[in-house]
Amino acid sequence: MIWQQLQSLAGSYPLALRGLGMTVMLSLVSLVLGTLIGFGLGILRTGGNRLISGAIGAWVDLIRGTPFLVQIFLIFFILPELGVELDAFTAGIIALTNLAACFICEIVVAGIRSVPTGQVEAALASGLSRWQRMRQVVLPQAMRIVLPPLVGQYVLLIKDSSVVSAIGLTDLTRVGWLVVQRVPNGLLVFFLVGVGYFIVCYPLILLARRLEQRMGAAHGEVQI
Amino acid sequence: MTLNLSKNGTGMIEFRGVNKWFGALNVLKDITLSVEPREVVVVCGPSGSGKSTLIRCINGLETIRDGDLVVDGQRLGDPATNMTRLRTEIGFVFQSFNLYPHKTALENVTLAPIHVRKIPRAEAEKAGRELLAKVGLADKVNAYPAQLSGGQQQRVAIARCLGMRPKIMLFDEPTSALDPEMISEVLDVMVAVAEEGMTMMVVTHEMGFARKVAQRVVFMDAGAIVESGTPDEFFSHPKTDRSRAFLSKILRH
Repeated sequence: MIWQQLQSLAGSYPLALRGLGMTVMLSLVSLVLGTLIGFGLGILRTGGNRLISGAIGAWVDLIRGTPFLVQIFLIFFILPELGVELDAFTAGIIALTNLAACFICEIVVAGIRSVPTGQVEAALASGLSRWQRMRQVVLPQAMRIVLPPLVGQYVLLIKDSSVVSAIGLTDLTRVGWLVVQRVPNGLLVFFLVGVGYFIVCYPLILLARRLEQRMGAAHGEVQI
Repeated sequence: MTLNLSKNGTGMIEFRGVNKWFGALNVLKDITLSVEPREVVVVCGPSGSGKSTLIRCINGLETIRDGDLVVDGQRLGDPATNMTRLRTEIGFVFQSFNLYPHKTALENVTLAPIHVRKIPRAEAEKAGRELLAKVGLADKVNAYPAQLSGGQQQRVAIARCLGMRPKIMLFDEPTSALDPEMISEVLDVMVAVAEEGMTMMVVTHEMGFARKVAQRVVFMDAGAIVESGTPDEFFSHPKTDRSRAFLSKILRH
């Protein structure tokens, strides 16, 4: 019986590959876009303009304070009501990018604020413009703080991409739901789905750990 | 008591009735002071007397509430004054060095010349090497700040300022964070800069430095300039009780 199920599962591997491809595609596009926008938002958030900074802060709080599933439904079902036609893939990308940008914005803000004031004062005193101070002095130092949690956040976001199956995108999780209808062994099917996510995430987990160790070494932390 | 600190209003740095508050605290009280081109002025006084705030106002790291502050002919706070441009003419040396930790000594020195003055990289690096050699660090060109001692870092910081060929150099307790054996190497560099005719304001308690190169010592207490005179006058014949009390404390050891 288990043998039959395995055979049947093996037959579903093209579907599984498609699902894995969709998950990787969604994650890749939204993480790249989310990182770019997240850095932009983080830089603006720490800038001098109170209105912009406040607006970004409010948006980030809103997104962090609501479930991702609800955000996806709002984008996928409400926007068409307002006359914006979206296919499921675009809606998924928008929702994931927005989520990624908001979390990454917070990480970038924390990194920028960790750079000592004296660094900014030294850059100011030598006549560097705001963008030059950011580009030459603040961001390179903030990156050391930002990088480990950033990669960690990527892992969380890749897993959050499973939520897009709710709007009908055939990602890894949805493939699980489809296959389990043919192969009635939920444990086995979703174990394999889990393995699929793990294969994508594990290299990033290792990378995050290495970055953290390098940071610790650079700061001369006492080994516990 | 009135102090005639402003001569004829043609100073490189001109404070006229400057006031500043931190909340309810009047940190600068009616400051009037003129520093002539090529003059070296040492500012001293007890902790919290406003000395650092005074020189931080000159390059706009602090803003003033009222009064006039004119630097190199430009009035601070005036919409016509380009503060970023003015800052390129003013070198500022910090107590805690504030070197960029992710850049080498040479990169610290060449960053602003390349990006602000738009000097070609090769030319800026040549000038940077010469400056580092001048402060005695020719062999540390490619060292990162973390690989340098405090005294060496502060000398790089001075070279970083000199790289912009400023008209004015401001020093905010440049030797206070240093181990005693490193103080003189930094002071030697400062003396050399002073002897080349730089306009300088130096917040320091280094009497030797003041006697050697300062034309004037300004003594501050509780946000006000209490006394001002030549180093000889000030150290040998302080005029006020407050300056006598201060000198007795720093000269006791």
